Amino acid sequence: MQTEYETADAPQVPGGHPARLSARGITLGYGAEPIICDLSLDIPTAELTAIVGPNGCGKSTLLKAFARVLPVSGGGVIELDGRPVHETPTREVAKKLALLPQGPIAPEGLTVRELVSQGRFPYQSLVRQWSREDARAVTEAMAAANVTDLADRRVSELSGGQRQRCWIAMVLAQETDLLLLDEPTTFLDLKVQVELMTLLRDVAHDQGRTLVVVMHELNVAAAFADSLVMMRDGSITAQGPVDHVFTAENLDQVFGLDAAVLNDPESGRPVCVPRVSLRPDIAAQ
Amino acid sequence: MTTAPASAPSPAFTLARGGGAVIALGTLALAFAWHIAVGAKTIPLGAVFTALFRYDPQVFDHVVIRDLRLPRAIFGVLVGAALSTAGALMQGVTRNPLAEPGLLGLLSGASFAVVMAVGVFDLAAPAWLPLIAAVGALGAASVVWLIAISAPGGATPLTLILSGAAVTAFLAALISIANLIDEDSFESLRVWLTGTLAGRPVEVMLWTLPWLAAGLILSLTVARQVTALAMGDETATGLGVDVTRLKTLVLIAVVALTASAVSIAGPMGFVGLVVPHVVRLIAGYDYRVIVPLSAILGATFLLLADIAARLVLAPVEVSTGIVTALLGAPFFVWLIRARL
Amino acid sequence: MIVAVWERLDGPVTFRLPLRGVAILAGLSAGIVAVMAVSLMSGSFPLDLRGVLASLFSEAPSDTAETVVWEFRFPRTLAAFMTGALFALSGAILQNVTRNPLADPSLVGVSQGAGFAVVAIIIAFPDVNIAWRPVFAFAGALAVAALIQWIAMQRTGGATMRFILTGIGVAAFISAGTNALLTYGDIDRALAALGWLAGSIHAAGWGDVRSLVVCLVVMIPALIWASRPMGALRFGPEVATGFGVAVRRDRLVLITLSVALAAFAVAAVGPLGFIGLVAPHIARRLARTGVGLHLALSAATGALMVGFADLLGRTLFAPVQIPAGLVTAVIGVPVFVALILRSQARSQL
Repeated sequence: MQTEYETADAPQVPGGHPARLSARGITLGYGAEPIICDLSLDIPTAELTAIVGPNGCGKSTLLKAFARVLPVSGGGVIELDGRPVHETPTREVAKKLALLPQGPIAPEGLTVRELVSQGRFPYQSLVRQWSREDARAVTEAMAAANVTDLADRRVSELSGGQRQRCWIAMVLAQETDLLLLDEPTTFLDLKVQVELMTLLRDVAHDQGRTLVVVMHELNVAAAFADSLVMMRDGSITAQGPVDHVFTAENLDQVFGLDAAVLNDPESGRPVCVPRVSLRPDIAAQ
Repeated sequence: MTTAPASAPSPAFTLARGGGAVIALGTLALAFAWHIAVGAKTIPLGAVFTALFRYDPQVFDHVVIRDLRLPRAIFGVLVGAALSTAGALMQGVTRNPLAEPGLLGLLSGASFAVVMAVGVFDLAAPAWLPLIAAVGALGAASVVWLIAISAPGGATPLTLILSGAAVTAFLAALISIANLIDEDSFESLRVWLTGTLAGRPVEVMLWTLPWLAAGLILSLTVARQVTALAMGDETATGLGVDVTRLKTLVLIAVVALTASAVSIAGPMGFVGLVVPHVVRLIAGYDYRVIVPLSAILGATFLLLADIAARLVLAPVEVSTGIVTALLGAPFFVWLIRARL
Repeated sequence: MIVAVWERLDGPVTFRLPLRGVAILAGLSAGIVAVMAVSLMSGSFPLDLRGVLASLFSEAPSDTAETVVWEFRFPRTLAAFMTGALFALSGAILQNVTRNPLADPSLVGVSQGAGFAVVAIIIAFPDVNIAWRPVFAFAGALAVAALIQWIAMQRTGGATMRFILTGIGVAAFISAGTNALLTYGDIDRALAALGWLAGSIHAAGWGDVRSLVVCLVVMIPALIWASRPMGALRFGPEVATGFGVAVRRDRLVLITLSVALAAFAVAAVGPLGFIGLVAPHIARRLARTGVGLHLALSAATGALMVGFADLLGRTLFAPVQIPAGLVTAVIGVPVFVALILRSQARSQL
């Protein structure tokens, strides 16, 4: 069930960079009903890619497989810079690819600076515990995520949005070219979602990093992502630049959602508006 | 769960109940006879019945049965019934599948009180025993409950079990310390503390009978309302149940039952956990059935456990409390897996 | 909030340590020395500080002093400190790996497993050399840990409160088994086993001290290694994977390490309860530090606690000796309750 936009001239990247992270024919999960079946995907480099789909479609599972949290159990391979990611030494991967899982929990009493400092973990060792380089990366990451003012506060006493920015700062401090984020905006106010997505988009565009974000909110995804991956029942239904993929037909196909897709007059971004079936007597007025 | 009006049960239903009651009582009678037959010398079942119904003081076996084995079997019935009924009520009222006098600290509270009374204050009179045990059980129950409801998330199965474990560990350490400081006074209590039916004077049982009877009658009286409470405090209130009053009555019943069981046999863990679950599997969710059936099956269970205690490592006899723990602890682990 | 730190940012060896943590570690060490001194002084044959120092480092004031210090009080006190440190380290690692503030070797049955194995050996094979005890204790503890992990793992991950509840059930089962063994066994051997089970240190001699020292020497490199994966695993398995930690392998190694630490301590002095639970929390309260320094602080706190508990146990109701295990339970339970009251128990079930 792939649309004509996919693999038109893959990988579809504006700058023409080759894809660094890609899945080739992967199947995840055991038994007769795998969660993901024979899926192939190239992640566009230096862009913000959003993966959307209904609950249980396998989008988080796919992200975890990319991050090597889950093994590719049913065949296929995930490649990072041409090497199978599950066979590359995990610490080497950690310097190229960072993961922010869904709903992470910080140890009790940790301050923001301590949390962000943890992002330097792959660069440290028993003898090399905290270097000038680490201090610089942490300062920069906190500035980028706009949490410098919170540095000495405890993570547990922050609001949901502030806390999520701290976690993003932590993965930024890991200084990887690729960042995978699992539902970073779920359970947050719309305003906070917009702030976070602005931050993530700027990271992709200003620093040339590659971001993959699993998310729920369609309109927020359409407003900020460069490309979209729509998933349903463990396979990719549509994939490509937002303007091409975010269509009424695809929304109907993927979510079973009867919606009109309009364009935001200011940004030119597509917006979906669910069709409301009005009661005939009200509609007549 | 049936929400049909309780006043008009269908004829088939009562028939099934009647049949079930007959089967349960029959099993209990068989276990009772078997329990008496088993021992250092196995006595044939026929002789057991003659000894019970046509007693002949000249026959040695008859004397053994009357003086030693019959009291022990009766202890088993009383303790098993008391602990199982208490467990059933606790599970119903707290809506907590893991509730049980032992796990929630009542047994150790009662034992601690008895140990202190006997060892420190020399209050060994059997008349006082149930009262002392009841005070201890009530105190421990209150502490466990207070800790659990003050914890974040309130009195969940988890917080109740954890605070029960904490109180039990604390009291166990205090009992051991008291034990060490004054070894002689505690000598008589050492076996009792592992939970046993052996060697308790009949006098103790007579003094606990009023407590036990009161607890059982109260349990049967409140059973109907406990069924309503299973749907939640608000729903029960909506159905016209005075929830606070009901919980107080249940607490009184549970404390009385636990106290009588501890007075006779010491702390015997897990009996009140296993039996009510089995009963619910058989009999559904109506506590008017669960409470009496728990009493009957609890008695049967404890008799069988006591038979095992005497047979498994014969001629050595293991404490019955060890057997109930060996049987009950795996069941507890299974419950955690299945129900949490 | 300004935190004073001792740091070195350039060169091949770099670090950053909070000064408060270092200072508290020094304070705890001083406390250990002080408890050691008092412990050597007190007992039915009282000695003053000068007498103790003389007995230790030069000529003892009397033969009795020499015997009392060298044969009884000194090995016993050393054993108390070392087992305290072992239990504390075991608990700290277990809490880290399971991400569960209530994890403790004596609460989840690991200590009971070690105890069961040793009692079984004492009762069934009394001829077996005492030096093998740690091996059997380790085997028993490992079996129980594997069992709990297996049971708790059956549904969606094992690092939850189900682990604790399962452990409580398994612990009850094994205790009952141990009790059955005690009834079954010969009365003298049963009494020997019973004394050991209460968690008493009074019987510890130089043999125990030697095996504890060997154990600590072997474990210290492993603990230094452990501090790094533990630092990442604090944040959960997924974040740790993102940091480049081999989560499955490291968790397995860490659990084995924790079990081994508890088992060796149990083999020496019996199952002392609650130290593994309480010491890491007190250490965290004293100073917020990274994982490595926290391990050191936990070990020092545990050592101090058991040393102090042993001292209390043998002086409070003298001439009756209260086993240190009972004292630690009485001290530990209130802390345990405080932890129940604070932990976000519901979200972790």
